[in-house]
Amino acid sequence: MARTNPLLVVVEATGEATTLFFGKLFGALGRMLATLGDLFGLVFQILWLFRFTFTKRGWLLARTQMMDLGVASLPLVFITALFIGMVAAVSAKYQFQNFVPLRYLGTAVTQMVFLELGPVLTALVMSGRIGSSIAAQIGTMKEKEEVDAYRVLDLDPLRYLAAPRVLAGIVMLPTLTMIACSLALIGSWAVAVGGLGVTSYTMVSGMRLFFRSYILLVCLVKGTVFGGLISILGYYHGIKSAGGARGVGEATMKSVVSSSVMILMFDFLITFLMLF
Amino acid sequence: MPGVSIPQDAYAVELRNLRKSFKTSNGVQDVLRGVDLDIRRGETMVILGGSGGGKSVILKHMIGLLRPDAGEVIVDGEVIATPEKFDYSTIRRKMGMLFQMGALFDSMSVGENIAFALKEHHPDIPALSVEEKVATLLGMINLNPAFATKMPSELSGGMKKRVSLARTLALDPEIILYDEPTTGLDPITSDVINDLILETQSKFHVTSVVVTHDMASAFKVADRIAMLYQGHIIFVGTPDETRETTNPFVQQFIRGERRLDPERLAAT
Repeated sequence: MARTNPLLVVVEATGEATTLFFGKLFGALGRMLATLGDLFGLVFQILWLFRFTFTKRGWLLARTQMMDLGVASLPLVFITALFIGMVAAVSAKYQFQNFVPLRYLGTAVTQMVFLELGPVLTALVMSGRIGSSIAAQIGTMKEKEEVDAYRVLDLDPLRYLAAPRVLAGIVMLPTLTMIACSLALIGSWAVAVGGLGVTSYTMVSGMRLFFRSYILLVCLVKGTVFGGLISILGYYHGIKSAGGARGVGEATMKSVVSSSVMILMFDFLITFLMLF
Repeated sequence: MPGVSIPQDAYAVELRNLRKSFKTSNGVQDVLRGVDLDIRRGETMVILGGSGGGKSVILKHMIGLLRPDAGEVIVDGEVIATPEKFDYSTIRRKMGMLFQMGALFDSMSVGENIAFALKEHHPDIPALSVEEKVATLLGMINLNPAFATKMPSELSGGMKKRVSLARTLALDPEIILYDEPTTGLDPITSDVINDLILETQSKFHVTSVVVTHDMASAFKVADRIAMLYQGHIIFVGTPDETRETTNPFVQQFIRGERRLDPERLAAT
């Protein structure tokens, strides 16, 4: 038997692993680009279908989704937002050490919450809640031929299934984000006053210092875009699902993974365009 | 219906050399390999065939849920689908389909299921006449009007299929496609569905296409029976002709035998 050089084995294995890694990476990138192409068309079709929301029956469908996806998410947003604010206050205090005066604590927390933490973390939590629920629901409807039933009755699934959900995402996520940011500020105030030795006056005046309404706009734009991303990706993966329970599970997973990645990518894009 | 004369030249649906294949995990599977079938206006055509043989695929081509790889689908004399052309907008509302498991909208009550498409397509229709229509249709499928407020999850399999039929009839279709209407039902419930198919036929003078592997159902409702075997239509005939045919594959299917009769095979 030929002796194999152990070094060679290691090099070969590393080479294989690298090839596999880049193969997977580029495969994933390729799939993502294809998805983006599909989605681009879908976005415009759905935007055009929003016109039906102004009819009585169209509004009813959208309102149901707004209740299910938005209003029902309030308890979750409530809890996560409070903790986001509390963590923001503590970590800002830690980073200040003794170099930055504590009267800037409120300022730092406010900027952090409205520009980044509020919209991004709310969106990530909501992609787990509403993105997955949309994907599972649409996937199951497809599995049970309900989507075909819409087509056969000459009802466009995009109009009756996608548009109300996407509208709910676009309207409700910025709303929830605003609520989350306000609650986060309350959370940070409570921790600062209760545990960090900052007076209420110092904290509140810090929050008001350098406050520009422009950061609210950034926050709202992020919320709106993220809401659209989550709901469209949920619908897209749901309608593409195939193969029974496994397919629905996969669609749910894909919707959460892809919307999380997209949220972070678009977060950078929006931050860059609006703040740079 | 037997005894009703059908003009020979009036076809509701014509399939010409229809081909369709699907990608599977182990290659490409040719499901339809050139299906030719004419369905006359007003008749009930039953398409027989084994499970997974592509019967439902034929129905889905007729109503535009699938696009053919080759061949043509012609409805009311109009070419609706070819590999290049795919336009069901003109005929969609003429056709209705009853899905295998009913495919009722889970989030809506029975009444809303029946009325939904009607209200969407005719937004100005008064609520009272919608209610009347729902009640009439529930009566037609022998369900108590109180069922209108029930949710699909509270219904049995047979009831779901009946409600699905009512939902289809709400749009007054001219052609109704039934995808395995009796599969998964006990013999008595199956017969209720068979009677409903016949009743629908006689009341609304629709053209029906029924896909099934239930022989009792086939012989009861069919004006003509077509047999799909390995992607081709190998036999078309009346129920009597079907019983008497010497075609070994048809006989095998009617008798439910695992093996082909070698004598019959030799005779063809």
